[in-house]
Amino acid sequence: MRRTFIPLFLGILFLILQTTLFASFPIQRVKPDLVLIFTLFLGLSFSPLSGGILVFFLGYVIDLFSGNSFGLYAFSRPLLFFSAQLFKDRIYLESYFLRSLFVFLFTLGEGIVILILIKAFHPEPLQPPYPLFFTGFLPQAFSTALLAPVLFSIFKKGYSLLYAQPGTGLGVRGKT
Amino acid sequence: MSLRVKERKGVDFFDGLFMEVCSPFQKGASYVIKKVKGVFQEYFFLVHLHRENERLKKRMADLQRENDQMKEMVLAQERLRKLLEFRETLSSTVIAAEVVGRDPSSWFKSVTINKGEKDGIRKGMAVISPEGVIGQILKTAPSHAVVLLATDYNSAIDSIIQRTRAKAIVEGGGENRCQLKYLLRAEDVVVGDRVVTSGLSGYFPKGLMIGEIRKVDKKGHGIFQYAELVPSVDFTRLEEVLIIKEITKELSSQPTEEKGKKGRKGK
Repeated sequence: MRRTFIPLFLGILFLILQTTLFASFPIQRVKPDLVLIFTLFLGLSFSPLSGGILVFFLGYVIDLFSGNSFGLYAFSRPLLFFSAQLFKDRIYLESYFLRSLFVFLFTLGEGIVILILIKAFHPEPLQPPYPLFFTGFLPQAFSTALLAPVLFSIFKKGYSLLYAQPGTGLGVRGKT
Repeated sequence: MSLRVKERKGVDFFDGLFMEVCSPFQKGASYVIKKVKGVFQEYFFLVHLHRENERLKKRMADLQRENDQMKEMVLAQERLRKLLEFRETLSSTVIAAEVVGRDPSSWFKSVTINKGEKDGIRKGMAVISPEGVIGQILKTAPSHAVVLLATDYNSAIDSIIQRTRAKAIVEGGGENRCQLKYLLRAEDVVVGDRVVTSGLSGYFPKGLMIGEIRKVDKKGHGIFQYAELVPSVDFTRLEEVLIIKEITKELSSQPTEEKGKKGRKGK
């Protein structure tokens, strides 16, 4: 039960922080996407089913609080999660730089997907929102990437504390 | 006693000798005592001073916090007074709400307010402030609602240029800017022209300030020209907003409106 509710609670907490605390930063464009970092962490450590449902729900909640009415994040976040699942147990994300790079590339990928979807779903020919890509999205992507290594470390510690199996791990004598 | 003092001619020899011998010791002892006493006094004084300092620092921090709180209260009161004055110029069917959250993404421009369906908020309602148009209600929940800001790409508001009465649509342009669409090339538009709501949409009263034209571009072909405007509202500092539930009377005291020119067009 706690495997589901704790990540869900954390995801919602990050969303609240993102919409309140980080939105009131003096530099408004520096608004790290905590939920995205969390989604990628879930993608690297959770099972496809439980993690997928959780991430879909988080994407749906983002859509509720966001100005889009197409459900873009309910689509893009599971996409991000399953893309991260492809790298599960395949990449070694121990260095800070690699973590940052990993998150930055995924953020960029999601941005491009959303940009394409906005263009596709808009009923009228739309003045391309490219200025937003540079003025809003890229600063957010950079700040997210910068914050990612620290959060990854915290998530990892929390994950190992919460989901440690009894009888395994360091300090436990194995059977002879 | 006074008699004895009067009778004495001077100090006795032995008295003087003892006094002369003892007085340096006395002087030294009193010096040492004074010094020791001084050190202890200084020490206790310093300890006391340190405590006093700590107490004063705490007191100062408390006063500073109180001062900040009072300043914040004064500012909030000023904003609310403006909002109330503006509300009185509109109608009785206006609801005040507080901004409680902002858009989690960088692609969309919206805010969450603390009033919802329970307060009579419905989708599409106009959201304004004393400075001008803010946007429209996009989503509603029982006690919260999401407002789509005028700067969002999905926002479109029917408008007119105040000086020339030329009609156009104001669309969001992302980062604190909007653009005018469907503005005929033949229309005379210059930088600095004020753009106000036309009142044709049925949600916004006529004559509400949207922004000022910053750039006009007549290059290119076609029957329309392009103009960019700066919204009159600073969307990064939104704290309180007004939601128009129903347009019941003309905006009589709006500075942006041409008084007595035309009747209300809204709805």
